[in-house]
Amino acid sequence: MTLLKHFLLVLIVGSIAIGCSSKSSSQKENKNVVLGKLELSNGWARPASQGQNGAVYLTIANGTASDDTLLNVQSDAADRAELHESYKDENSTVGMRPVDRQPIPESEKLLLKPGGLHIMLMNLKRDIAVGDSVSVSLEFAQVGTRTLQVPVKIQE
Amino acid sequence: MSNNSFTPTLQALCTALLLSLAILACSKPETIKDLSDASYKLLNTDSSTVDFPQDYKGNISVVSFIYTHCPDVCPVITANMKNIQSGLEDTSDIQFIEISFDPQRDTPQVLKEYKKFFQLNSQFSLLTGEPAPVDSLLSQLNIVAKKIQPDSLQQDSSKYDMIHSNKIYLMDKAGKIRAEYPASNVPPKNVIEDIQKLR
Repeated sequence: MTLLKHFLLVLIVGSIAIGCSSKSSSQKENKNVVLGKLELSNGWARPASQGQNGAVYLTIANGTASDDTLLNVQSDAADRAELHESYKDENSTVGMRPVDRQPIPESEKLLLKPGGLHIMLMNLKRDIAVGDSVSVSLEFAQVGTRTLQVPVKIQE
Repeated sequence: MSNNSFTPTLQALCTALLLSLAILACSKPETIKDLSDASYKLLNTDSSTVDFPQDYKGNISVVSFIYTHCPDVCPVITANMKNIQSGLEDTSDIQFIEISFDPQRDTPQVLKEYKKFFQLNSQFSLLTGEPAPVDSLLSQLNIVAKKIQPDSLQQDSSKYDMIHSNKIYLMDKAGKIRAEYPASNVPPKNVIEDIQKLR
């Protein structure tokens, strides 16, 4: 009897724990921020052919003592670059929309990742294939413009 | 109620619960949509005509829906299809089909480029077609795809984004749709488990 009670208790508690757990949808986190500088890391771009749209992903870690804001993005690989986010609506359809400037509080990270925030490269001027690299510039309110080269790769 | 009288009830409940879980884990997915007699004339990447799903009968098909101007979610779906493929020990009776819901821009040549850039092997069929059969198939499969104009591009009607369904279907060897999944985030193992049940 005691064993059965324990079994049921574990079952109920387990169910509640599973039901209550949820993944954070936040794009921001503050783990492992290198203090003293704004750091861009883990950058990569998807392959795409000329005339298509591309996407660039990276992590922006604001290790400075001030809040900062991502104001604008640019790339010489495309006619235009914009900050976009993918979203899912109440009918489970998915879409994409431009987003405004993104604040990055001090000691926090902004994650640009597949299925979420990303830099959209609109109307690519050339093919970008696996093994190539793409230059992107990010303009911040506090630290100014940072430019980096990101490799083109396939998502795993 | 005494402990003695309660015990058999609890035992019965637990047994029923475990049996239900076991049956659920082993049962084959039910038919969601029967396409076994349907015929949609689509185009493959070499511009040859494909009869969907007739040409794919005899194999299990993993079917998704994309458009190539989509830089984020659709490549995530394609990556998930590749992960399902790489998670299978034996892919000899499996086909991977991606159907464009943007036939206006996704010509066979454009899909051929997409296939090359995303390094999809010969088990992948990327299909497009005339708008009428494509739309008819999408409607039959409850796939929604709607053009939207981002504000920044409003003046150019040839440039648009799309909001769309996010589904992967599993089609059995007879052409019946047996399972559906959220395409961009279903764990590949879930699809692989259902594939094994259909084999």
